[in-house]
Amino acid sequence: MTFIVRQIAVTADGREIIRSNPFDQLEIGVGRNAENPIHLPDLAVNPDHAVIRQLDDGQIQIESNSGQRFTVDGRSKMSATVHPSKGAELGFGGHVIAVSEDPEGIILTVKRVEALSDSAEARSEGSLYTLKGLLPGKRISAWGFVALALAAFLIWPIYTWATYRGVEERPDQFHADTMWTSGALSEAHHSLEGDCQACHVDAFVSVRDKTCMNCHEDDAHDHAKPDRLLTARGDPEGFAKVGAAFAAAFNKPRGRCVECHTEHEGAGAMQATAQKFCADCHDGLDNRLVDTKLENAADFGESHPQFRPAVLIRPGGKNPPRKRISLDEEPTEYNGLKFPHDLHLSKTGGVAQMGRRLGSKYDFGPSLVCKDCHTPDPKGVRFEPVDMKDNCSMCHSLAFDEIGGTVRTLRHGEPGQVRADLRAYYRSTGPSRPINLGGMKRRRPGATNDNRVASDYARAVKFRPSRANLAISQVFSRGGACFDCHGVTPPSSRGKVDYGIKPVTQTDRYMHKGWFSHEAHNDEQCSSCHNAETSDDARDLLLPGIKTCRECHGGEFAKTADVPSTCAMCHDYHADDGAPWLIKEQQKDKQKKTERAANENSLRKPDQKLKVKIRKRKIASR
Amino acid sequence: MASASIPGGVAKKKMAAHGGFLKHAGYRWLKICSALMLVCIVSYLFIDVSPRHNGGSWYGYALGTIGALLILWLTMLGVRKRAMTSGKWSLKAWTSAHVYLGLSLIVIGTLHTGFQFGWNIHTAAYALMMLVIISGIFGIYFYATIPQALSNNRDEMTEAQMLDALRSLDRQLHEAAQPLSAEHAGLVLQSLEQNPFGGGFFQRISGKYPNCATRHAQADLRRERAYQPRMSGKDGKFDDPLDKVDALLEKKEATLARVRRHLRLKSLLQVWLFVHVPATFALIASLSAHIISVFFYW
Repeated sequence: MTFIVRQIAVTADGREIIRSNPFDQLEIGVGRNAENPIHLPDLAVNPDHAVIRQLDDGQIQIESNSGQRFTVDGRSKMSATVHPSKGAELGFGGHVIAVSEDPEGIILTVKRVEALSDSAEARSEGSLYTLKGLLPGKRISAWGFVALALAAFLIWPIYTWATYRGVEERPDQFHADTMWTSGALSEAHHSLEGDCQACHVDAFVSVRDKTCMNCHEDDAHDHAKPDRLLTARGDPEGFAKVGAAFAAAFNKPRGRCVECHTEHEGAGAMQATAQKFCADCHDGLDNRLVDTKLENAADFGESHPQFRPAVLIRPGGKNPPRKRISLDEEPTEYNGLKFPHDLHLSKTGGVAQMGRRLGSKYDFGPSLVCKDCHTPDPKGVRFEPVDMKDNCSMCHSLAFDEIGGTVRTLRHGEPGQVRADLRAYYRSTGPSRPINLGGMKRRRPGATNDNRVASDYARAVKFRPSRANLAISQVFSRGGACFDCHGVTPPSSRGKVDYGIKPVTQTDRYMHKGWFSHEAHNDEQCSSCHNAETSDDARDLLLPGIKTCRECHGGEFAKTADVPSTCAMCHDYHADDGAPWLIKEQQKDKQKKTERAANENSLRKPDQKLKVKIRKRKIASR
Repeated sequence: MASASIPGGVAKKKMAAHGGFLKHAGYRWLKICSALMLVCIVSYLFIDVSPRHNGGSWYGYALGTIGALLILWLTMLGVRKRAMTSGKWSLKAWTSAHVYLGLSLIVIGTLHTGFQFGWNIHTAAYALMMLVIISGIFGIYFYATIPQALSNNRDEMTEAQMLDALRSLDRQLHEAAQPLSAEHAGLVLQSLEQNPFGGGFFQRISGKYPNCATRHAQADLRRERAYQPRMSGKDGKFDDPLDKVDALLEKKEATLARVRRHLRLKSLLQVWLFVHVPATFALIASLSAHIISVFFYW
C-alpha cells in the first residue's frame, strides 16, 4: 500500500492548510532532515529519527534508528507495531502523526501540536510583566492578615474575658486579654497584672469605685461626701465642658477614684497628687458649695487662709470641747495650769539662779531652755505632755518631811492623799519640845515660868493634830505648792479643807486637718516660731501664724520660696492621723537609701573577712 | 500617573502632565503636613498632661482620633485610584496628599503613644502602622527613581514589542538550528523551551538568572567549537550554521537582558505594594482591636 503523508500547517489567522504527498514505498523515514519523506522541522526530533515500514500482515512497524524515543498513543517506545485500520497517534517532539487507513493507502497526518518555542505560546499579556503568581496575592494576604489580627487581638482576649467572668481569682498563666494592657501597673497593684477583671469587671463599663473599695475599704477614707464633692467641683467650663461632654458620652461618670489614681502609667510608685487637683475644688469653693465652713485655698504662698487651730474651750474630761478659731483673732487657751514662760526662760532672776544651782544635777544651762521641760515624742513630730514628776519637780519640790535621810513628798495628782499624808504627819509628830521643859538646862527663874512652859507644851501636844487643817489650807492656797501651778476649787463649806484641783488638759495637736512635724524643722530655733520668751500668761496660745510659715514655704510653683510646697506636703486627700502620703513616701525613700547603704556595707564585710582569712593563712604558713 | 486620559484643555493637560505627585502644586501638601507636624510637636511639648503623656489623656485621644481617621482616609486611595480625574481634586493631588499625610502620621502616631511602648496590641498596631509607612517610603523612592530607569531600559520598545522580538528570535533560531546535529539542536531547544518570564520572585527582583538556558546553550556551543578549524565552503564563504545560531543566541541574550531588567524594575514598582496593602489591612484590623479594647476595658 501507499503511504500518504498529509502535512497540516496553521496560518496566522488559524486556518489549516493541508498538503498531501503519496509515497509509494514500503519504508519511509521520519526526521528533521528535509530528505525524509516525513520531514519534521522540529529541534526535538533527530535528523533521522525513525522509520515506518509496512509489514506483510497489513500492520506497520515504527522503529527508532537514532536511539531517540517516540510515543505511541502517549507511551514512550523505541519500536512499535500498529494496525493502521485501528489507528494510532505517534508523537515525535512537538509533532504528532495520526495513523489511519483508507482505500488509497495508509494515511499519516502530520501536525505540529506544541509551540515552536516557549515564548511563542499564547500568554495573557496584561499580567505578563507583573508579579502575579510569584507572590501571594495582595487581596488574599490582606484578608488573611485581617482575620489573623482580629482573631489574635480581639476575639481571643474577649474569649478570655468571657471565660473568667465572675471568677474570684484567675489561675497563674498567660491570659490573652493582658495583651490589651496599655502599660505596666504601679508597684502597689503589680500582683493584679494578670487579672484584668479585678478592676475591669463589665465590658464597656468604666472602672467603678466599688471595685477599688473591695480592697481599700480601710484606707481610702472619703474626702467628703460624694455629692458635696461634685458640687464643690462645680460644672465644667470652657474647654473642660468639651471633655465632660465626651466623658458623659462615653459613659465615664465624674468623681471616680481612678480620675486621680491613674493606672497603667508604668511600674514604680504612683505619682503624688498635683496641687491643681486640690485647687480644682478649693479655689473659690464658697461660690459653689455655699454652705461650706471651709475657707478657700489655692496656693500656700498666695491663697491660703490663716490657720485655725482647735482651741480648748474648757479643760477636763476625755473629749474636752474645742473650737477652731483663726489665729488672726488672737485666741487664748486656758488649760488648767499657771505657767509664765517669760519667768522660766528669763536669763536672770530666781528661776535662772535655781537652774544654775541644779545645773550639774539636771544638765541645765546658764538659764532654762525649752528642752529642759518639753520632751519630743518618739517620732519627733510633736511633744509629750509636760509631766510634773519628770519636767517640773526638779525645782517644784513637793517634799514635806525627812525621815532618816529619805524625803517624803506629797502625792501629785491625788489631793485626797495630800490631805491624808499631812494629817498623818501632824498626828504622828509632836510639836518641837521647848528646851527649858524639865531637866537642868538654863531657864527663867520662877516656878510660874516652868508651869507656863509645861502647860503651853501640853496644849501644843494636845492640839497638834488639828494643825494639819491649817497646813492643808496653806498648801492649796496662794503661796502653797499646789496653788503655784494649779487652779484650786475651794472647800465645799466653811471650816472644811476638801480643796480640789481644777482639771488640766494639755493639747498635743492643734491642727488636725494639716500636718506639721517638729522633727522636719530641727534646723530652726524654737523661738523662731514660738514667742515664749515674752509670754507671761499660760493662756497665751504660742502658735505661729501663716505669716511665719510663709517666711520659708511658698506655693508649689513659687520659685523664690526656700521650700516650694504643694498642698500634699501638709494635707492628705484620704487623711488619717498620720503623716500625709507624700511625706510617708519621702520617708520610705530615705529608709530605702539608708538600707541600701547598710546593704552595701554588709556586702563589703564578707570580702574583708576573706582578706583577713587569707592573711592569717599566710602568717601560719611562714 | 495622572497624565493619562485628561479630558481638560491643553493648558490643563500640560499642567497636569509635568511634575510628579511629590512636587504637586508647589509642594502644597508638604507644606500643609509640615505645619501639621509642627503643631503636633509644639502642642505636645507645651500641653501639660498629668502624670505624663499617654494615649489615654484628652490630648492622646485627640491625636488618636486624628490618626485613626487619617489612616482610614489614606486607605481610601485604593478606591480612589481606580478613577483617574483631573482638577483640584485630581488623583495626583490625592496621591500627593496621601504621601505627605501618611508621612505626618509618623509624628501623630508616635506622639499619640506618649513614647510608651510594650508587648501589647497597642504597640502592635503602632508597629504595623510604621511598617505600612516605611513600605510606603520605599514606594515613594521607587516611584521617584524607577520610571526613568524603566524608560531608559525600554529604549522606546513596548512590552508587546519586547515579547514579539523574543518570538521572532526564537523562530529564527528554530530555523537556523534545523541543520544541526541532535546534540546541538538539543542545546538550542533548551533555550527555546525555557520560559523567558519564568524564575521565582527572587530572580525577578534581583534580575539574576543563573540557570539561563540561552546563555548555557551559547557557552556550550562556543566551548565545543573553540578548537574546531573554521572551514570555508565552496564559494569561500563561512556557512557553518552554528555561526548563525551563535549570533542569534547572542541577540536573544541581549533581548533577554533587556526584558529581565524591565521585569526587575517593574517588580520593584510593585513589590512594596505587596507589603503596603496587606499590612494596611492588618493595621486596620489591629486598629479596630486597639480601639475596641480601650472601650471594652474602659
